[in-house]
This record gives sequence, C-alpha cells and structure tokens, in this order.
Amino acid sequence: MTMEQTPWDPEDVAVGLDREGGLSPEAEALLPALEPRALYKRLVAARLLDHRLGRLGLPMWAPAAGEEAVSVAVALLLGEGEWVYPGMRDLAIAPILGMDLDELARQVLGLAASDGERRAPALYNGRAGALSATDLGVAHVPEALGVHLGMAAGQAHANKLDGHEHACVALFGEGLTTAGLFHETVAAAVSADLPLVMICKSQLWPEGAPAEAGLLGDSVAERVKACGMWTRRADGADVFGVYQALAQAFARAREGRGPALVEVVVTPLYNPDVPAHRDPVERLRRYLDRAGHWTPAVEEALEKELLGQLDRAFDYARDGDKVGNG
Amino acid sequence: MANANPNANPDATTTPRTPLTRLAAEIAALLREDPRRVVLGEDVADGGMLGLTRDCREDEALAPRLLSLPLTPAATIAHAAGLAMAGRRPLVILPSATALLDGFSGLRELCRLSGSAGGERSGAVVMIAPTGPGFGLGGDGAASPEDVLAALPGLRVICLGDARESVAILRAVAEFDAGEQPTLLLLPRALVLREVDDFIPVARPLGGAKVVRRGEQATVFAWGATLDNALAAAAASEADGISVAVVDVGGLSPLDADTLAAAAARTGKLVIAHPGQRSAVAAEVAALLADRALLHLDAPILRVGGAAGPAVYTAEADVLPSVAALVAAIHEVVTF
Repeated sequence: MTMEQTPWDPEDVAVGLDREGGLSPEAEALLPALEPRALYKRLVAARLLDHRLGRLGLPMWAPAAGEEAVSVAVALLLGEGEWVYPGMRDLAIAPILGMDLDELARQVLGLAASDGERRAPALYNGRAGALSATDLGVAHVPEALGVHLGMAAGQAHANKLDGHEHACVALFGEGLTTAGLFHETVAAAVSADLPLVMICKSQLWPEGAPAEAGLLGDSVAERVKACGMWTRRADGADVFGVYQALAQAFARAREGRGPALVEVVVTPLYNPDVPAHRDPVERLRRYLDRAGHWTPAVEEALEKELLGQLDRAFDYARDGDKVGNG
Repeated sequence: MANANPNANPDATTTPRTPLTRLAAEIAALLREDPRRVVLGEDVADGGMLGLTRDCREDEALAPRLLSLPLTPAATIAHAAGLAMAGRRPLVILPSATALLDGFSGLRELCRLSGSAGGERSGAVVMIAPTGPGFGLGGDGAASPEDVLAALPGLRVICLGDARESVAILRAVAEFDAGEQPTLLLLPRALVLREVDDFIPVARPLGGAKVVRRGEQATVFAWGATLDNALAAAAASEADGISVAVVDVGGLSPLDADTLAAAAARTGKLVIAHPGQRSAVAAEVAALLADRALLHLDAPILRVGGAAGPAVYTAEADVLPSVAALVAAIHEVVTF
C-alpha cells in the first residue's frame, strides 16, 4: 500500500495499524490478546480522562491528547510486580491498571490523605494533577527534571538483584533528552545492564522545532543506540505498532538482555493542521469501522458511560470532602 | 577463591586501626546481617575510593551487592531512591560531600520520597561522605558543604565528631535508630585516617549532641574537624584561667535542641565554631540558643569561622577557625 507521507508521519517505523485502519500481518497475530473493541474503549477512556482533567482548570496542566497509545500499551504490558515511572502526561496508566476513579480524583484534586483517613493531604509531588499508586506499581512523578529516570533505573537494579524477571519502565518526553539525568540514566542502565525500558515520546516539528524540543540529530533512538542501548522507533498514532515495539523491549528486559529505549513519535492534536490519521483513537476507529464494529450510536453510548464514571468520581471527591469536613 | 588468599582478609591486629579500616569491616557486617542492603557508588566493586568496600569485595557472598555506577551524580542518588522504592536498603558511598551538590536534584527527590509516595515508602537510604580538610586535597576536597545539605527538609545529617565512635555511629545510622529516612553520615577527613586505640559504643541517641569537655565560664559548640581546634582553644584558655566547655553538635539536622540548650544555659557565654566563612548550621544553632537559652545568656553569641574557600591544597586547614581566633572569641564573651 502506498500512502504519501505527511510531515507528521515518522519514518523508520514498523507499521502495525496503517492510517486507513488496515492491520499488518504481525499486528493481526496480536488480535487474540489485543481485542480491538476493548483496546478502543481504553483509548477513548484515556482521551476522555484527559478532556475531563483539562476542564478542572488545574495550574500548569499539560494535555496528553494524541499520546494515549503509549499509556494504554504500557498498562497492558505491565506485569504483576512491575513498576512504571510515568511522566506528567501518562495519568491514564493508573486507572487502566485498576486504580479506583474515586482515589484518582482525590489525588488529582489534592484531597487524598496519605492513609485514607482524614489527615493532611498526601503530597504525591505537590503539583495539581499528580498521581501515585504504590499498590499498582505506579510511581509518582518527581518535579526535578529526569529524576524519575534514575529512580526507575534503581528499581530495575533491584529487580535484577532479586532475580525477578521484571522490567521497570520510565516515560518521558524528548525535551528531557538534553537534561543531565537522561544521559546519566542511559550510562547507568548500559553499564549495569539493567532491565529498564525507557519510553521517549517525541514530536516531529514540521513548522520548525523550538530550542527546548531537545533535537540533536534525527532521532532519540539513533542517539541512544550509539550509546550501546537497544532502541526502536514507533508511531504513536499506531497503537499496534507501539504495542509491538514495547513488547519487544519488555521481553528483552525480562529475559535479562538489557535495557531498551523505544522512541514513540506522537502528534499533539491541538494543531488544526494535523491530519486525522495522526490521532491514535481515530486510527483504531477506522479499523473498527471497516470491520463493522463501529457506529455513531455505539460511540455515543461508550462516551456517555465513560464520562458518567469520571463525573461521578470528581463530583464525589469534591462533595465527599465537604461532607468529611462538616 | 578470594577467601583462600592469606592477604585478602588481614587479621584486625595487623590492620591499622583507623576509622576507615574498621568502617570497611562494619559495612561488610551490615551487608551480611541484612540481605536488603546494597552499596552504591563509584568503584565500590573494587573497594571504593576510600577503601570502605574492601572487606565486602573479599566476600564472594557480598560482592554481588556492590553496585558500581559510572560518574552519574544525580542518577546515583535517584538510583538509591529507586532501590529503596523496591524495598532495598542502599548505602551510597560518595567520594566527597560536595558530590551531593552535583547530585542535588536526586537528593532533593529522595528527601521528599515519603511524602510523594503517599506515605508508603520511607526513603531509607544511607549516604556516607568525607567532608572538610584532612587529605591535603584542597578545593572541593576540603570543603564543608554540610550547611547546604542540612537545610534540606527530610534529610538527617550526622557529622562524626569522635573517631572512636565511628563504627557505632555508622551502625546506628544504617539501622535507622532515629527513624527511617534518608540519612547522611559525614566523615571529617581529618578524623578518618587517625589511629584509634579503642572504638567505643555511643550511649546517646543517634544525632545527639555531646559535652566533650566540661567548663564553667564559656561554652564552645563545634562539630567534625572543627572540634580539634575548639578543644585546643579551650585548653589554651584554661591555661589563662578561663574554664571552657566544648560541645560536639553531632546531629546537624535535626539539631539536638535539648542538649544544646542545656549546655548553653550552664555558662551563658557562647561561641560557635564552624568551617568556612559563614555557616547556616552555625546560624541555626545560634538562633536555637537565642530562643531556648535567652534568659541565661550573658553575652552575644559569637560565631567563629575560617577562610571562605575554596582552599588551596597546601593550606586547606585555613577553612577551619583557628585556635587563636577561638581563644580571642572565648575571651571576648567571658569579659563582655
């Protein structure tokens, strides 16, 4: 199939789900495990969570629309006893892993007590919209740039010492790749051969990259490969492609074959010039549509159900707090 | 087989009895006692820059828990935080206390771990670092950055003041006697190479201050390498007929407020000796004593420092307050 590349489409990626909603043979093979309708529901839930959080007016809030495939794939791949160190745009991971939406709302709103009783609110990281779920293996997001990468490497080291076949995962954006802690973590992970999976969400910049984009050469994957780490690049609009690349990275880490970096090219969707096929939700919708599993009525019912759950959780968190103080 | 080598594990009687050699044995003992413990840092798999992991290296059962890392100042501390998140008990051995300034972002995060992890992780990490002059290094190798470090919320900072107590204090630190929290043990370079006849237990709680010399007319507060000059100044003053007490502050954060205030109240004439030109720890001690011992004070609280630094390696002891300056300050408060 020949399709013209747009400036937002990454090169050098293995395609799982193409822009018209067609699956590669390798992606077809994943279908028993990755049920497309369930996968679609998770992507839509992640998108709606982002929208719902965006309406809270949280200070310094960073929207994550367009990055859902990474959160969903990480949550699906994370095994029992494995930890993820997310970035600020990965809040969808915890609820997919089973975090109660009421607890999510309390933490995001800064209302959660550290022991579940009426004590001082837990810190998480001091910022509005931060999460931590120790029981689910979801670490908090440190405020200092890149510290969570070093912490994830430390946890990966603990896994290795314990002889557990566990990966540890850290997520970040390409802007972090000029920071010292990024380089330090790559050095530590390579030198100690740690079961660490680093996931870098990169953007392409058709209209020119700002200095803070952290561009040094064509790709983070190429750069880190030169440091001796196994790397792959994936298209963040292609949830099957992301899943496949991450599955390889997880498998390597669990089998003791060393650290990995997967660079996922995502496209922020707020730019009206971005073509629709850059949206991971829309791309999977096209697949379902072709397979006869999607109708506007199904979509409407799904969104109503998910939004209702979110509204209930946030309303309850706020009202519950009033009741608690009354 | 490392243990088959007769030179590998020398008998304690033939080893120089310095804090460094005894601490190396104690670190090995700590690792044997608790399998959660790991040692982290540059060269630790090869014995470490201070030789503190030499005994561990000779024990095949311990060697896998010596985690050498590249020169990654912030990532090393973050790494320890990650290990602690996984239930490990890391001991981070640093080449210099100033390395924590290079790794400050990691240290800062470690210190807020218990809050950030919803109260479900404690950040039970021990950091061991030499500080101040003593090795003839000058520069950062003679600097005393403890005042910056002691200002970090969540970090316990202990400074060794008596070489004989080094082993007992390391154990109390590693066992988190005063609670599970990130703990920095500062080893003054001037103390750790000293030959010691007897390593003694410590009766006071971890971080407690200690009156190391009794006196009636003035009290000098000091910690670490500065204690030597404080004791020398007290002896010189005694020769001039002035009776001076000296207190080892010991815990720099938190301060042992009760012991310090009680010592201040006994004489009411106070001198605080500290490394460098200024010191936030000295300022904190002065503020504490002004608060807790005001009604007993009979003179302004004087602070006496040394050269601002960075120190030239040939004159690195200048960063400590001189005996002459301390004698003058003692005289000033006593005759106020």
